[in-house]
Amino acid sequence: MTISERPWAAYYGPDVRPEIETASCRTIGDLIRSVAETYGKAPAFTTCLYNGMNGTLSFSQVDEMSDAFAVYLREVAGLNRGDRVAVQMPNCLSYPIAAFGVLKAGCVLVNVNPLYTAEEMAKQFADAEPHALVIVDMFADKVPEATKGHPIPNVIVTRIAEFLPKMPRGIVGLVQKHWDRSVKPIEIAHIRLPEALDVGRARRNENKIEVDAYFQDVSPDDVACLQYTGGTTGVAKGAMLTHTNLIMNMQQTMEMISVFKKGEEVALTALPLYHIFAFTVNLLGFYWLGARNVLIPNPRPLSNVKRAFENYKITWMSGVNTLFNGLCNEVWFTDSPPKHLKFASAGGMALQTAVARRWQDITGKPVLQGYGLTETSPILTFNPLGKVREGTIGIPLPSTDVICVDEAGVPVAPGERGEIATKGPQIMAGYWNKPEETANVMRDGWFLTGDIGVMDPDGYISIVDRKKDMVVVSGFNVYPNEIEDCLATHPGILESAVIGVPDDVTGEAVKAFVVKRDQSLTEADIRAHCKAHLTGYKIPKRVAFRDDLPKSNVGKILRKDLRTSETTQDAAE
Amino acid sequence: MVGPLEQAILALMIFVIMLGMGASLTPRDFYLALRRPYGLMIGVVSQYGFMPFIGFLLATLLTVPETIAIGILIMACMPGGTTSNIFTYFSKGNLALSVLMTVTSTVAGVVLIPIILVVYANALDLDIPRENIIVTLILLLVPVGIGMILRKFSANVGAVTEFMGSALALFFIVFLVISWIPRNWSFLLETTSATYFAAVGLGVFGISIGYAFARALKLHPRNARTVALETGIQNGPLAVAIIVFTFNGTEAQAVMAVPVLYSLFIVIVSTLVTLVFRRANTAAEQKLPDGLL
Repeated sequence: MTISERPWAAYYGPDVRPEIETASCRTIGDLIRSVAETYGKAPAFTTCLYNGMNGTLSFSQVDEMSDAFAVYLREVAGLNRGDRVAVQMPNCLSYPIAAFGVLKAGCVLVNVNPLYTAEEMAKQFADAEPHALVIVDMFADKVPEATKGHPIPNVIVTRIAEFLPKMPRGIVGLVQKHWDRSVKPIEIAHIRLPEALDVGRARRNENKIEVDAYFQDVSPDDVACLQYTGGTTGVAKGAMLTHTNLIMNMQQTMEMISVFKKGEEVALTALPLYHIFAFTVNLLGFYWLGARNVLIPNPRPLSNVKRAFENYKITWMSGVNTLFNGLCNEVWFTDSPPKHLKFASAGGMALQTAVARRWQDITGKPVLQGYGLTETSPILTFNPLGKVREGTIGIPLPSTDVICVDEAGVPVAPGERGEIATKGPQIMAGYWNKPEETANVMRDGWFLTGDIGVMDPDGYISIVDRKKDMVVVSGFNVYPNEIEDCLATHPGILESAVIGVPDDVTGEAVKAFVVKRDQSLTEADIRAHCKAHLTGYKIPKRVAFRDDLPKSNVGKILRKDLRTSETTQDAAE
Repeated sequence: MVGPLEQAILALMIFVIMLGMGASLTPRDFYLALRRPYGLMIGVVSQYGFMPFIGFLLATLLTVPETIAIGILIMACMPGGTTSNIFTYFSKGNLALSVLMTVTSTVAGVVLIPIILVVYANALDLDIPRENIIVTLILLLVPVGIGMILRKFSANVGAVTEFMGSALALFFIVFLVISWIPRNWSFLLETTSATYFAAVGLGVFGISIGYAFARALKLHPRNARTVALETGIQNGPLAVAIIVFTFNGTEAQAVMAVPVLYSLFIVIVSTLVTLVFRRANTAAEQKLPDGLL
């Protein structure tokens, strides 16, 4: 596809380059270094807790500390280039230090959802085989069980209030230990992150280690992140995102936006950084801009975000529909909407038009919807500022080609339904150790998203359906197989099928159809069983008992039929 | 009674607590409460409309000696005190509104209290000690102002001050109850049930009616909780001071019975109400689904 065949190029702003030839930096390590040299002592990251207690690290501090961590990983923990390091924590100052340290060391970052159950962690660890784990103390009690099959030799433990000034850090520690008891004793051998940094620093000084040598050794096409998305077969699969993938996607996204001023922005990061959207856009994008990034460890309840809005002049924030909708329902937010906001970005799940309008009414600034997948680092399309089309996911980013294709892979005419296929520098290198899965999603150099969309003549795209059985619950992918596997382990369940159903709050919700073996089985039993094995968002929100399930000739359960009967039932109601 | 040393310690505690309360506020909170003075007006009406009337009903309907009846009326006419701010804070109410209500009712009280007493008590002539009013206002406004400045200067200093202030406030509440009981043990035994009813009822009815009134006028639950606590919680020490100024000897002792009893029970009642309000606040919180937020 040539630029002239990209009708959407006409909708880019005047300063937007339709094609970005090369990444501005070879690797993320180079990027971290060069940005830190430019912005030095300016604040880079701030953790803001619900009560306003906070801690800030400057660009130079983050640079120096992540250097020390890289040295620790390579020289003390004995990791090599390409070794995986799992990082499992909510948003806090330790995150950029750990993540940047891993990438500078030439290792591969594996983001893990901190709310995962030990079982879910074990599956991801078994696949990624990390050599080190950086985990927050609140969840470290799950590590012994999660690493039973695959021991992780190096465990580094941090905490929410790490790197905050002494007094607030002490208070938060006391409250966590004695009041809400969210920190349990840690029963595995570990080192604390600040100690690891001290050890790393000492080793660097002793042996005169050049950290730059670690990342100069890395090729731009080496894997930077193994980003897990769950899998169609119930087994997690890791998308291999290279340094180029991530840097390019960050630049492509930032290219679309001309209202940001380098070194002057303040971003609010309430979305978790372990999720690819916040990782690429909030973490890399706003670091690159020289912005101050206000990290919210836990935005539940939403009043936890109030102090961040009061104490910082937030100029941009990202979120999912649920967050924007929730904020519009908080009195403190509607009473004093952020004055300095330039706009907000939405992704992860469909942004409801009503929510977008209310947001615009309250804040006076738009919320722009984009679209992407873990496999595409993640952004593929965005609504350009000032040229928003409601209900669409916008137009493809610079250097990105998007077409809608039919079953045979032939592009359909504008306005017709087809599977969204894409090409660009942000498409992953493949799934980790899963060549067949990779082959399934790549066709003639195009990546098949599994989403069915319609592109209008101008290049604006709307999502209309999904080819895969995947359910998207408030921005998280849920694969029915995983839930069905879990249900199958309950002795009272004969068989089950899981589908996604529309939901006002989460966009889609998990619904389980269950055939009982034990007649006394209740919905509460099923939920309790799932809760013991699965993270909250995967637990079926609705359960329906059936005498049997629709099956094909060969006995395969037909989720499609269940979905159809759901929609006709909805229509009938 | 409370000695000068104890009084100084109490004043210091209140100062530190209010410093913490102030550190949870921003000028914008006051601006918002003043921009829509509806809540403030409802509060003043509730404070000086309902409370004296409740007091009047209790004083007339209960068979109590005249001195006790006077005590009930005086107590019912008092403005709100700092205790109401503390309970509003813990109830997740609107602290800025609470502070404004306390200030307004304290200042307005200078004029309103004598007028109300004319209506209900045949021009009972009371000396309202100005210095007491001024001390109340200073103990409220100065630390709140300093607290806000601290927060503006550093969010961390503010948050730590708030944490310390609220921890001290919890201690303060427990301290009030625990230190009160042994000091007044024989008094507790001698008091008649009618007096008990008046002392407890004043707070209970004040809070209930204040809440119902504010909700009926469609105030947000957060503001309604504030009005309720502000209405029911009166400035006990001010009542005591007024009585000391106005009455003598045994008469003063008798008039003081209700204010003294009230001061104990209002802390207990408000603590229970606060627990209910907190629960209501949690129940009304938006349930965010599991997922990316």
